Amino acid sequence: MSTLSTRYTLTQSQKMMIFVLSMSLYGLSNMFTELIPSIQLGPIELSVEYFAFIPLTLCMLFHPLYAAVGASVGEIIFGELMLGQFGGIGEVEKFITFSLAMYTAGRMVSDPTNKRQIGIAAMTGVAIHQLLSSIVDVVKVWVGVEELEAVQGLAESIVIIEGVGFLNDVLFSGILFALLPTLYLVPRLYGKIEPLLGMRPRHKDTKYEMSNWLSPKFIIMGVVLALLAVGAEVMSETEWSFGEWELPFAESSENTLIWVSIAAAAVIAIVTISILRSKASKSANRTDTKNA
Amino acid sequence: MEIVKKTLDRISVERIKLELLGTAYGNSTTFIGRLDPRTLLSWYLFFAIVPWFIHNRTILIGMFVLMVGMTVLSRVSSILIFILCLGLAGQVGWMFLFSMLFGGDLTSLLPLLTLTLKLSVISLASIAVFSSMDPEKLSDGLSALGVPDTFSFSLSYGYRILPTLLEEFHQILLSFRLRGRSPDRPGFLYIRVIIYYLRLTVLCFYPLMLNTAKRSRTTVEALETRGFTYGLNNREVKKMRLSYLKLGMLDLYFIAFSILYIIWLFWFGLKFPSILY
Repeated sequence: MSTLSTRYTLTQSQKMMIFVLSMSLYGLSNMFTELIPSIQLGPIELSVEYFAFIPLTLCMLFHPLYAAVGASVGEIIFGELMLGQFGGIGEVEKFITFSLAMYTAGRMVSDPTNKRQIGIAAMTGVAIHQLLSSIVDVVKVWVGVEELEAVQGLAESIVIIEGVGFLNDVLFSGILFALLPTLYLVPRLYGKIEPLLGMRPRHKDTKYEMSNWLSPKFIIMGVVLALLAVGAEVMSETEWSFGEWELPFAESSENTLIWVSIAAAAVIAIVTISILRSKASKSANRTDTKNA
Repeated sequence: MEIVKKTLDRISVERIKLELLGTAYGNSTTFIGRLDPRTLLSWYLFFAIVPWFIHNRTILIGMFVLMVGMTVLSRVSSILIFILCLGLAGQVGWMFLFSMLFGGDLTSLLPLLTLTLKLSVISLASIAVFSSMDPEKLSDGLSALGVPDTFSFSLSYGYRILPTLLEEFHQILLSFRLRGRSPDRPGFLYIRVIIYYLRLTVLCFYPLMLNTAKRSRTTVEALETRGFTYGLNNREVKKMRLSYLKLGMLDLYFIAFSILYIIWLFWFGLKFPSILY
């Protein structure tokens, strides 16, 4: 029976405990990061973007969904509302991107004692979040300016500014405040913090609800595809031409190109989903036969 | 070096505690603070989304004028406005500079100006609405509009727990400093001191996580003994809690004025699409 993959179920109050824990801790850290001044080198900002290690650690140790949502709520309440910086709709975007990224990172770790897994997951989580927010920023300018191609060089400048910001956040904040602290904290807290909330530590065979469709692979693929779509569109507005990219009909009809890229994205997404589904059903069959 | 020393002073926990507690409890005696939160939130939703899709400059300018009026009415602190202007100028300015680098010229200034106008309408709307609404009212308004009640619980919990958490963090930090050793020399640009403090801040979260875990268990158990989840899922309770929200005459006037103004603005804007530039 030990090999039976049991579903990781929590009671209502345990979910609430994870939520409250994640919210108050990440909220507290967010107040500090809001107040720590940043060093500005031109458009490049060396700043402590966030203490991502807190939600990352909690997502890896507990149920990732409740920890991720709790952290995002904590950011909104402590970091924005209580400091008088609530931004309205902009917060919704932050909420979604951050929860999604942290959830994915938490789901990627199946064994909290495995340091390599933790490291990869932590960096992926930060990268997903930063990529998503860069995409949102680019789309904002894109929607806001009537004719992007009418402005010489605007498309290039957006790409550069966002790219530099992305690299800074991933390499500076990501390594110092996500990767290293997470590597330090997760193995240390594993098995110690769970009993305080009255639950069993996670182990390799734990399975989550929603695991069937919202898997890390699915999210990562989605983010990469979205990035490709936006990137291709912005690139097509610029004068940078990549020989291989220039399809014969690209000049005449940009619309066709957009539809082609969307279709490609859809095809890849469908293929990924079907592969994942077949894998899931296979593993389900395996457990069935074992039970029998 | 003075700057570094000053910023280090700014990071002291005691200072942060004061600053936070000062900003956390705002007042709501302004005109906008007296409106119903549901009115304000729906008003905000319109002005946060619609400007993105309008490219008519006259309409945008008209909206901007309305927002300036609202901001004046809500008596936003001048520091907030200053920070907003700085942010907008920085963001669009860098975009402009880079586009010059890639062969743009002064003609690219006009579309960017339109973008700035849009962004300022949206941010002024959010500042006017959210800076004069106290959190209690905001969370009740959101909950009346269908946002999960967990959010409003988290808000009040945040206000309650913040001083305790800060106190605890401060104590852990002090004990780390007592047992540890600060760097002998500050190093180039105080880099060693900065690294020392950042490292301590991260390390502090290890005990803090364990302590907070215990506390959150106590909190939830106390909540459950008082029927928290039951109340959360019960329609009657929610109705009772939100019964004080009422749309008054003031709200009616406000909504009527906004709608009439917007209708006039669209009519005017379509007639004269580029009034200033």
